[in-house]
Amino acid sequence: MKRREFLQGTTALAGGALLAGGAPARAQGEPKQGGTLIWGHSETTQNLDMHQTGTASTSRLLENVHDSIVTIDETFQVIPNLAERFEMAEDGLTYTFELRRGVKFHDGSEMTSADVKYSFERCKDPATGAVNFEVFNDVEAIETPDERTVVIRMSRVNAPFLSRLAENGAGVVMPEGSGDIQGTLPTGTGPFRFVRREFGNEVELEAFLDHWRGRPHLDRIVSREVTEPTVRLTGLQTGEFHLINDIPLDRVEALKSDASVNVLTWFPLSWAFLNFNHDRETFQDARVREALDLMIDKEVLVQGAIWGQGVTTASPSFPASPSHNDEIAPRPQDFERAKALLAEAGYGPGELSFTFKVTTNYPWHVEATQILVEWFRQGGVDASIQQLSWSDWLSQCWVDRDYDVTMMNFFTLWEPDFLYYSLWNSEGAFNYRNISDPMIDEMTSAARRVVDPQERAQIYKDIQKRVQDEAHDVVLWFRNGTVAAQPNVGGLDALVHPNGSNLRFRNVWLES
Amino acid sequence: MRYLGKRLALLAFTLFLISLITFAVTNVLPGDVATMIMGTQSNPEALAGLRERLGLNDPLWVQYGRWIGGMLSGDWGVSLRFKEPIAPLIAQKITASGLIVAMSLCLALALAIPLGVWSAVNRDRWQDATGSGLALAGISLPDFFWGIVLILIFARGLGWLPSSGYASPAEDFGAALRHATLPAVALGASLMAHLTRMTRSTMLEVMGQDFIRVCRAKGLSEGSVILRHALRNAIAPVLTVAGLQLGYLFGSIIVIETLFNFTGMGWLTYQALLNRDMPLLQACVFVIAAVVMLTNLAVDLLYAALDPRVELA
Amino acid sequence: MGAFLTPKGLLGLLLVGFFVGMAVLAPLLIDEGLTTKIDVLARHQPPSLEHPMGTDQLGREIVWRVLLGASTSLLIAVSAVALSILIGLPLGVISGYFGGWTDSALMRLVDTFLSFPVLLLALTISAVLGPSLPNTILAIGIAFAPYLARIVRGEALRVAALPYIEAARSQGARHGRIIRRHVLPNIMAPVIVQATISVAFAILAEAGLSFLGLGTQPPTPSWGLMIQASRDYLDVAPWTALAPGLAVALTVLGLNMLGDALRDAMDPTVAAER
Repeated sequence: MKRREFLQGTTALAGGALLAGGAPARAQGEPKQGGTLIWGHSETTQNLDMHQTGTASTSRLLENVHDSIVTIDETFQVIPNLAERFEMAEDGLTYTFELRRGVKFHDGSEMTSADVKYSFERCKDPATGAVNFEVFNDVEAIETPDERTVVIRMSRVNAPFLSRLAENGAGVVMPEGSGDIQGTLPTGTGPFRFVRREFGNEVELEAFLDHWRGRPHLDRIVSREVTEPTVRLTGLQTGEFHLINDIPLDRVEALKSDASVNVLTWFPLSWAFLNFNHDRETFQDARVREALDLMIDKEVLVQGAIWGQGVTTASPSFPASPSHNDEIAPRPQDFERAKALLAEAGYGPGELSFTFKVTTNYPWHVEATQILVEWFRQGGVDASIQQLSWSDWLSQCWVDRDYDVTMMNFFTLWEPDFLYYSLWNSEGAFNYRNISDPMIDEMTSAARRVVDPQERAQIYKDIQKRVQDEAHDVVLWFRNGTVAAQPNVGGLDALVHPNGSNLRFRNVWLES
Repeated sequence: MRYLGKRLALLAFTLFLISLITFAVTNVLPGDVATMIMGTQSNPEALAGLRERLGLNDPLWVQYGRWIGGMLSGDWGVSLRFKEPIAPLIAQKITASGLIVAMSLCLALALAIPLGVWSAVNRDRWQDATGSGLALAGISLPDFFWGIVLILIFARGLGWLPSSGYASPAEDFGAALRHATLPAVALGASLMAHLTRMTRSTMLEVMGQDFIRVCRAKGLSEGSVILRHALRNAIAPVLTVAGLQLGYLFGSIIVIETLFNFTGMGWLTYQALLNRDMPLLQACVFVIAAVVMLTNLAVDLLYAALDPRVELA
Repeated sequence: MGAFLTPKGLLGLLLVGFFVGMAVLAPLLIDEGLTTKIDVLARHQPPSLEHPMGTDQLGREIVWRVLLGASTSLLIAVSAVALSILIGLPLGVISGYFGGWTDSALMRLVDTFLSFPVLLLALTISAVLGPSLPNTILAIGIAFAPYLARIVRGEALRVAALPYIEAARSQGARHGRIIRRHVLPNIMAPVIVQATISVAFAILAEAGLSFLGLGTQPPTPSWGLMIQASRDYLDVAPWTALAPGLAVALTVLGLNMLGDALRDAMDPTVAAER
């Protein structure tokens, strides 16, 4: 097979979700009420406290239990949710939210401004250990002039503030004083109420009949945790599950033409990048980083590691986002130039060696690593692989920052400040690569104070170009998200949250 | 009575040793639970605070004392990762594993004894070659390989049985059996092979003894000689070996349960190891070791009871 | 010697000889690069003339990986068993020879370790040390040591009870001398049998450890790792599991046969029956 034809197999979606299925469109008619949906979930849920949970897997589930004060649409514009109206003052220092009337919590109480104040302050409080506490760093005071109004006063302009509130991690509204039970009985205003969790196995949610948008179609959702991809797929095919997320990457194409299931793919779910530890002298030299970048054929990597279920990209911004830089592109593979750069930097063939640490938590990363190491070898670089469990990777690479080269992927980082500040600012919470680039530091800080959306977007585009030029990291791909369902599951087109990861079951129904 | 008392004291001492070894080994593990809990939100300050809250900074002997004291008073702690109390968790998972271990033992014995006897009786003829050959094959393949083959044939190919998951026998016995079948067969494959060989060799040993010659001389039928006299004497060592194999089985369940996503003790222990969930890992390892030790003790006593020649020293 | 050359013994010897030969010769004759050469365009090719055993999910030739895998697996297994003998032999001999309190105390300790399933011990040790090829050897070696100690102790007890040993002791001969000249040579035979069988188990143990991610690291061609990697693709590419699986099976089979034959050859009751 020629490389050309081979690469045509790459599925590149322009964005948004694509529903493909050989199955007859039985469930595309009118929604039916009732039924219990059994969902084969790819991951184990961890901490059920929405403020404390740091994992995409738990957020995916809790998406249905909680609502946030505002939310986003497909173009990442902030739109009303629990707040009917919201506005920011001209000077950017005051935000006013007018809450919806008659919103009920799962415990029966009605939502008021006091609950919003409680939730936000709980998130901000270091004692809570909330993952997104820094969203509220610039908040000076939260006032509740009446039951339906919340006024937030900032100590200085914080342009991303409103967008950050669109995610449950920061903007969730919990009943006042419910902090202690959130870890065992997550309570919110969402379309489904939490019933129980059986450790390592399943979580049960039931329809919240008094949801402010009306009850959801389904009576019940049971999420069964099946981490093995092939086991999950088998479960769908034998009818054990109605729906599964994260289909094994090599089966997606075959499944799409399978008449017995419907496959939903969307783009993107996550993006992955290759990391260099900038504390190590070797990788402080941009020529070395660029050389390694030049040894990679990104298109073939996407085929090899994720079976074409994704696209190459030089920018980690969601393609539909206004801050996505369309003009930068990944470097093509060029061994000659790579070897020349290495020689310039003082490394002849076989003189550069390092350890590549990769986590088995993402098996396709392990595949990618093997492919990358083989290319590095062709480029005269001797890299050895070390597989780490998720726990070890977190300890060694994330916290201790003890590694040479590694790779990782990120989900849901659609908000540009969250994305670029956290990852590339020298003080960013996710800057485990020890990157310290004064230009980027300046740009990320400045962007926080700029309220004009277009100006902000341009700053972020410049940051992307800088990262690409300097090869601080090498962005590898955007990966597709996949969900497969029995033909009698309807409402799949509204399933995926714009953040590409959370699943919203509110509009899903079961035909029979 | 004195014998029993002595054994019990020895038992307690051994359990103490087991707890020491468990604690020592699990606490040498690098990486820590705090990082696992906080995940990608980990940063040095937050981790320090979390470790303090979890009591991970106290000196080791204090942590050990806390653990032992807790276990003795019934408080087995809470899984740091999943925030569930450990004792009921383990009780639940042990029942699950108990189901497949019991099933595999029964299966193995039911197949191994006839096969072993058949091989022994037809020693060095084609029947022996077949029986022994099958047994040899059984112990030569990794048990997870059997598991993979079983999944391919019975779950994916024929669709008769589920390839994963666990159902509680209390809730739905039928489903529980269905989910437990493939893992039990995979577990039992190499066990069956061992037991076949054991049966064959003890049968051969017994059949070579004088009293068998006497039985034959007395004119008893061959069938009676084999089944009523030889097998009766050969059974004890075979059962002993079966019991002793439990130790090996409890190691195998780690792999088998992970393969089948069967949430039993093996699966739980592996998860605890991966997650550096110390309280859970300590408890799991301790329980497994204790169960193996107690089984060995029971087998010893059973053997002594069955075989009058053994003195209770 | 004649008793050893039964059909079983011969077949076992043949199989083991073949795999040992492969393990020794393959690294000399096959370029290591062939086992890591990735060709994504040729992934999951079924066995054919061009690809004798097919290719894996990254397009690597399975035949080279299986052949070189013999070295990896045998290296780990033999080293691990050697280590377990290094630890277990002295323990067992001292325990069995001296008897009494020494024996009780040491065996109490060994029995306690034996309560921990071998795989569990090996897993934990591997997790402690960090998974890598040398650490896999350490993990399996340490985990097997108690078992070997017990067996050696049994043999040492038997030998120590022999009349001429007792005589030598009562005559005041130095313990070290007795052990070296009389005890050790007499127990070597059963130890060798046990070692042979342990190598088989060590291969299986390494496969299990690699299956759980705590054994050898990619892209090392180890049979265990190959079986683990094949797991997700069983229905589309069964040869990726069959090739290494058969390799393990045949090697372990050969070792078991050899061990059996050796044991039969040395067991007086069996020999008498012939």
